Amino acid sequence: MIKTLQKIIALIKKEFIIIWKDPKSRGIIIVLPLVQLILFAHAVTMEVKNIDIVVVDQDNSLQSRELISKFEYSPQFRKIYKVSNIEEMQQKIDQQDVVMGLYINNDFSTNVTSRIPTDVLIITDGRQTNSAAIIAGYASQIIMSYNQEIAPQNGIQINVTTRNWYNPNLEYRWFTLTVVVAMLAVVMTILLTALSIAREREMGTFDQLIVSPLSSLDILIGKTIPPLVIAMILLCLMSVAVTQFFDVPFNGSVILFLVSMLVSLLSIVGVGLFISSISSTQQQAVLGCITFMMPAMLLSGFISPVENMPVFLQYFTYINPMRFFMVLTRGIFLKGMNISDVSINLVPLVLIATITLSTAAWTFKRQRG
Amino acid sequence: MNTVEISHLSKKFENLIAIDDLSLNIESGKITGLIGADASGKTTLIRLIIGMLKAEEGKVSVLGLDPVKQKSQLNEKIGYMPQKFGLYEDLTVIENLKLYADLKKVPHDFEKLLQFTSLENFQNRLAGALSGGMKQKLGLACVLLGSPDFLLLDEPSVGVDPISRRDLMKMVRDLISPATTVLWSTAYLDEAHSFDTAVVMDKGKVIYEGRPSDLAKTSAEFEEKVIELMGGYQKSESRIAANYVYSHLDEVEYPVVAENLEKRYGNFYAVRDNSFNIKKGEIFGLLGPNGAGKSTSFKMMCGLLRPTSGTARIMGIDIQKDPEKARANLGYMAQKFSLYESITVDQNLNFFAEIYGIPKSDVKNRVNEILEIFDFGDLKKQRTGDLPLGFKQKLSMACALIHNPPILFLDEPTSGVDVLTRRDFWNHMTSLAKKGITILVTTHFMDEAEYCDRISLFYKGETIAIGTPSELKKQVSAKTMENAFIKLIQESDKK
Amino acid sequence: MKILRALVRKEFLQITRDPSSIIISFVLPLISILIFMYGINMDSVRVTFGIKNDDNSAEVAQLVNSFRNSNYIDSIISDNMNDLTQKIMRSRIKGIVLIPNDFSKKLETGNSADLMVITDGSEVNTANYLQNYVIQISNQWLSTGKYAYSMTPSVVIPVVRAWYNQELNGYFFVLPGSIAITMTMIGILLTALVVAREWERGTMEALLNTNVTKMHIVLGKYIPYFCLGMTSMIFNLILCIGVFQVPFCGSYFVLLFVSSLFLFSSMGIGLLISTKLKNQFLASQISLGIGFLPALLLSGLVFPINSMPKIIQHLTKILPPRHYITFIESEFMAGTVWPVVFKCSALLIIIGALLFVAVYKNTDMRLPND
Repeated sequence: MIKTLQKIIALIKKEFIIIWKDPKSRGIIIVLPLVQLILFAHAVTMEVKNIDIVVVDQDNSLQSRELISKFEYSPQFRKIYKVSNIEEMQQKIDQQDVVMGLYINNDFSTNVTSRIPTDVLIITDGRQTNSAAIIAGYASQIIMSYNQEIAPQNGIQINVTTRNWYNPNLEYRWFTLTVVVAMLAVVMTILLTALSIAREREMGTFDQLIVSPLSSLDILIGKTIPPLVIAMILLCLMSVAVTQFFDVPFNGSVILFLVSMLVSLLSIVGVGLFISSISSTQQQAVLGCITFMMPAMLLSGFISPVENMPVFLQYFTYINPMRFFMVLTRGIFLKGMNISDVSINLVPLVLIATITLSTAAWTFKRQRG
Repeated sequence: MNTVEISHLSKKFENLIAIDDLSLNIESGKITGLIGADASGKTTLIRLIIGMLKAEEGKVSVLGLDPVKQKSQLNEKIGYMPQKFGLYEDLTVIENLKLYADLKKVPHDFEKLLQFTSLENFQNRLAGALSGGMKQKLGLACVLLGSPDFLLLDEPSVGVDPISRRDLMKMVRDLISPATTVLWSTAYLDEAHSFDTAVVMDKGKVIYEGRPSDLAKTSAEFEEKVIELMGGYQKSESRIAANYVYSHLDEVEYPVVAENLEKRYGNFYAVRDNSFNIKKGEIFGLLGPNGAGKSTSFKMMCGLLRPTSGTARIMGIDIQKDPEKARANLGYMAQKFSLYESITVDQNLNFFAEIYGIPKSDVKNRVNEILEIFDFGDLKKQRTGDLPLGFKQKLSMACALIHNPPILFLDEPTSGVDVLTRRDFWNHMTSLAKKGITILVTTHFMDEAEYCDRISLFYKGETIAIGTPSELKKQVSAKTMENAFIKLIQESDKK
Repeated sequence: MKILRALVRKEFLQITRDPSSIIISFVLPLISILIFMYGINMDSVRVTFGIKNDDNSAEVAQLVNSFRNSNYIDSIISDNMNDLTQKIMRSRIKGIVLIPNDFSKKLETGNSADLMVITDGSEVNTANYLQNYVIQISNQWLSTGKYAYSMTPSVVIPVVRAWYNQELNGYFFVLPGSIAITMTMIGILLTALVVAREWERGTMEALLNTNVTKMHIVLGKYIPYFCLGMTSMIFNLILCIGVFQVPFCGSYFVLLFVSSLFLFSSMGIGLLISTKLKNQFLASQISLGIGFLPALLLSGLVFPINSMPKIIQHLTKILPPRHYITFIESEFMAGTVWPVVFKCSALLIIIGALLFVAVYKNTDMRLPND
């Protein structure tokens, strides 16, 4: 028993030394994810800001200018181009100098003073499909607040108060950063594990391991632990960075966090080892990683919620470890999930981990001959 | 007239001096052999001559051109076959030939070449599916296209079976013109002995330049003379063997047994009905051309391949049934010494000591012991990948012996090392065998077959002869192992 | 020329005999477009939320009904706040609407009534959506219901029109955009390992000693993989326009032209990585690292570029997918808008040319001195 442990520890030690020794390898493991984290942290937001618009004001009255000035003072809107007719507006929108146009008719002020309902036309660039609705929403709100000023409601209205739990100010960053941390850890883990066996095979050192008294299980454990440890360390580093420098709150328990991360990463390691055992060259291993990562990330609920997907795909996400990994990361950071909530999400991960790891072990043993 | 004129050439790689103030002239129209150990600088010299590397100091002039500044002009006149000659494995024989013909701007005239290489019937076979000898012949054919004025071959016949080696030599001699200059780097001293000029290199310097026949009359003597030039070989007692402790408790008469081993891929038999018993303390060699089945047989014996039928036994234990127990008795030296290149010597030794089950408390002592016996001295903290080839081989041996196994499996253990290192290596092996280690070895070098107690000759998946070297030579009335080998194969072909 | 032809022919033969290139070029895009098509849906949000209604008047019951009157939005009615809270914690529901018991009373007496919406703030998009939904439905209910008469009519009314893609159909945006992501991956993947492999196998050394020039080697890599990439690109476009019927208003000629420019620059990235590193292990890690995630996150497909900090906005200008996405969305939905076409093409040409020069300069005709 102790002998087996010693052998496995020797394997693990060797893996660590190899990964650490090569400065390029070190750079890729530590620097690349951190750089990406910082980059994405700043870039990734669904808020729509810096909106440039073009205005056609056929009325040119006190009222129309007042309306336009509301846009000028709004923090979301940036540049306001004033043109004289709709053809010029079309040009500005077509060329994508602006994403929205505002058209005020020449009877605007007349109607306003006589209390006759009058339209203000908001034109959005449908090519910016993502943001078009949101932009229209902001513009509508501004127009409606102007309306409120000149024709105030007499009191009957519904005040909607919103309480955003876990993220009172709806900071996008809190949402995306927790997710990006998970994604970067996964990319790292799967690359390390998938390439590890493939590389030894290409270099020829793998035969040495097979001929030694190490059992298939020993070898697999020895290959699993180093990437797992490195990924855990990276995860912790990134989590600290995210909470300290980007003010993302951490409301959950540290222990639950570590356990969840461990299990999630184990399931990913299982996938990586499986890819590794069926690849004879590094190129194949890389292909395998991408074939897994692309669907896994795109269908994890990060870009669009799982609930939006057609039913058959939703069932598919139940075998996607990324889906649960993200729920757990977000849940522990922002919601402070307790043990029963966490466990519900851990169960499928444990299942996936068991299946992938044992499939990898079985495939490996079969090939070993 | 000289094709190549070199004066005071020096080349350094980081801390390693590859070429040390070297001056040399290579005569036109002659075949010059370049001999030397792997770290002697042969490949570096060739690469400097064709302009693939730039020297720090000194002048090189090839066919009147500066290889660095006038490389494109030089390219048109040379044919260069590097050591790892890259044939395009996904392309067929004829496609490879056409490619190189186009690259050299010569017409697609391959009839003669195909005849000479006996590849006419294999024109449409993928290069990757050819045997080792055929690959080298094809490579040589590609290089000969365009009838270059200067032919440079960097160990073209390494690892190739003796029949193909003879074919390669014949090809070169028959297909060049009297005006062609050939520079042929080799580790096979019998080849070198047949050339017009021999240049012996050691540690980046030329230690002999002249006619081989001036140095020795026969190739056997030639080898001795070259060894002398390299500093001579002092046959001394093998400390490695002295240090070895045969500790296996069970006495097994035949520690290594192959029983009707067979490896079948569909209808193709890579190895058919292979059986042999190796006695304790015996050195048993598996010989044969590439693709004959010796590597497959070897791999089945050490558990790298699963046999389709038959059993491999190590110390009486079936390696398929109880692999861990069986493998603990093995020491394995891989082809090309697959060690972990990015870690240090002592880290490699520590690793192998630990995975072969040496108790933690003893590991440090054992590693230090090994470092001392194998004479690694200050190389302890050296990065394995930076070691010269001879030391890599030693390290590989050390890792194989670190747990005092009763059985050693050696897969092409002397590939690429120089003649001195080879001698030394076999000294250790024979001494270890005397102490009781059973050794199974595969090799291409026919002269190494003489070190074996018994040999099994493989051809097309079957054992066509088995016995001591002298028995085999007598069987076909041959003087050298090489001739015996060729005759046995020819006889087998007739059947 | 003969030399170039020979090199290109060799590369083609290798490609056709290596299944992984075919898989990358055709299977991957197919999987990718299917995922984007079915998996990513940014418009209609399927949301489940809870309603706790303490006001049992008939009008409020109607309000609750209008909340439930949507194909995409599900609601659970419950009185148990604890249960609802736990469901939010477990992401079963994304929000709760609380209607207090004096809701209708306040409205009767001509005052404003309060409605509380609780959202799961960890999913920011959904939270926003839910809030807007509640506001919209409740205002609609108010202006068409019993109390409508006593409301002051609006004078200034915003009317929204979208030009191009009037329905704001998410697929029309995501599918063409996904081509950019897929082609970035393919462009980089195909080429990133190619040069490194020749060095590792030794075929590069043999090549360099024949009559090939640097330009031959560089073009010999660009041309075959460009052809393969274009075939893949056309396959993608056929899937998008033919199979998934995304409407295309532009010119096929312009589309193919700019697509080829984009492919040219993506390949440049891959070839540069391969040429510089000469080592398959590192090349694959780096190409994955800088290929996939940046293309996905910084190209404007998912997150609007205008919202990013200035520095990062400038950074995205060096990413080919960014310019390609701008172009392709415009070409599909608005037809050929020449200023957009010129701007994107120019940038793609510049990036592609710079990369080509870098590849050329980094192609070693000699062994590296190590």
